[in-house]
Amino acid sequence: MALIRIENLTMHYESRPILSQLALEIQEGEFVCLLGQTGCGKSTLLRLVLGAERPTSGRILIDGDEHQRPDRSRGYVPQKYSLFPDRTVLDNITFGCELSEFSLWKRYTPRFYRRRRELRAQAVEYLRRVGLTEADAKKYPDQLSGGMQQRVAIAQALMTKPRILLMDEAFSALDPATREDMQRWIRELWRETGTTILFVTHHTQEALRMGTRIVVLAKESPDQGSCVRLDLPVPDPCQEEDVPRLVRRLESESRPRMAVEGGVAQPVA
Amino acid sequence: MSAGVFSIHAKPNRPTVFALSWLLFVTGGILYFYASAARHRENPEDRVMPTIGQMGQGIYQAATQPAEEDAFDDSAPANPSTLYKVQHSMLWKDTQATGLRFLYSLVLMVPAVFLGLHMGLFPVIGAFFLRFLLFFDKIVALSLLPILFIAFGIDELSKLMLIVIGVAPTVLLDTLNLTRAVPGEQVVKAFTLGARDFDVAYRVVLKQILPRVLNSIRLNLKAIVLFLFAGEMIAATEGLAYRIALLRRHMGMDLIIPYVLWVALLVFLVDMAMRWSNRKLHPWFREA
Repeated sequence: MALIRIENLTMHYESRPILSQLALEIQEGEFVCLLGQTGCGKSTLLRLVLGAERPTSGRILIDGDEHQRPDRSRGYVPQKYSLFPDRTVLDNITFGCELSEFSLWKRYTPRFYRRRRELRAQAVEYLRRVGLTEADAKKYPDQLSGGMQQRVAIAQALMTKPRILLMDEAFSALDPATREDMQRWIRELWRETGTTILFVTHHTQEALRMGTRIVVLAKESPDQGSCVRLDLPVPDPCQEEDVPRLVRRLESESRPRMAVEGGVAQPVA
Repeated sequence: MSAGVFSIHAKPNRPTVFALSWLLFVTGGILYFYASAARHRENPEDRVMPTIGQMGQGIYQAATQPAEEDAFDDSAPANPSTLYKVQHSMLWKDTQATGLRFLYSLVLMVPAVFLGLHMGLFPVIGAFFLRFLLFFDKIVALSLLPILFIAFGIDELSKLMLIVIGVAPTVLLDTLNLTRAVPGEQVVKAFTLGARDFDVAYRVVLKQILPRVLNSIRLNLKAIVLFLFAGEMIAATEGLAYRIALLRRHMGMDLIIPYVLWVALLVFLVDMAMRWSNRKLHPWFREA
């Protein structure tokens, strides 16, 4: 059975259609890149999978169940505002476990402090794995560079061991060099942990460099919502000489189709 | 081209900045005492601008002697010590009375903050309160004063209600806006980490907005004192504003001026203490 199953998903904002009749299945352990132009609804789809929004119609099943709101089964790394500014790097990473193991009141018991010591030791391990040093542990998020912040955000999301990791343009705010580092690094991390990743991006090369599968969203016509235009498995590893060809193909596919093809209007010859 | 002394690019050195920042205080002081001395030359009985000696005398008496209406009672020792005199002095008792009311009104801001937080996070609570509170906020609190005196009597409660009605809606609506300004990503992220509603409210959102809330209360300190003084001037038997209003009747400028400065100093100290503790409590917070 598919880990994420999207059935007949339609989403309207007010009366503006964003997604129409979208269907998609994602298996456990896949690294799916959602690709599409700005405004095609890829972030909306991610937020729907996350449970942060409710679809107009259709449903999303995670491991067979519908989820009405975001919860621990799906980790989330947005483009920014992912880290809690009032917590140090280490406390940001341990926060997930603190939250799920201790309620508001139990947080003030001695057991909490004992457990936090264990969690902190674990968090240092995660910190090393995402390439930060112990010296960074005591810093506050805004003392870190953008790339470092995203690494901490990923460590924070992984600490609670979600089966699915949802990333929304997670590297889009980074400079090109850091970005490529992060792409290589997340791919390795995915191989190690086997987490299912759904990664939203508008960057075709990024999608090709990371994903095992690329799903292109596009509108069939301007007055309709987007649906899956192309569902492409990516050869592993993606051959560098194939990249330009694939980029051209993916980019032509993500453009909205003109009414011309429907035979309604013919260009003047 | 060199930057002019008054240009945007001017870089005054530290002693210059120090001297400039105190210049108006010094000038104001000199002008006052010059004018006061001039008036006293013309009319030694002048009561509008007391001399420094008269004010010093006034402060000394206020700080060591009880008010006329409550002289030392029978339990007073025959030869009271300085400490005893200060503790039973007019100035001390007035400061105590006003300080206590001020403290109560600060405590009463706490529920306002909590309500604002919940209104910002929980749509149903927001829907229930928001429209009413927006209306309530526009009521001119001082116009309610007669109603408050009729409804709650002229004792402490009506004065506290005046402050709450006057200031709490502002603090509350500001907290609401601060809550709404927290990026949605933070809330979603907290849920994906396993948070429940109240974890999001208290462990994520409240912690983040607290330094800004404290700054908002700092900005409202003046409003709190303003309503407090309005209440005291109209109906009170002790307190700094009551004393100022009372002294006006016999033009006791030698005490009114020190009292006004004393109040300013107290508010300044409270503000400074709040700013200092805000910085100590929230080392991560950078004022934007």
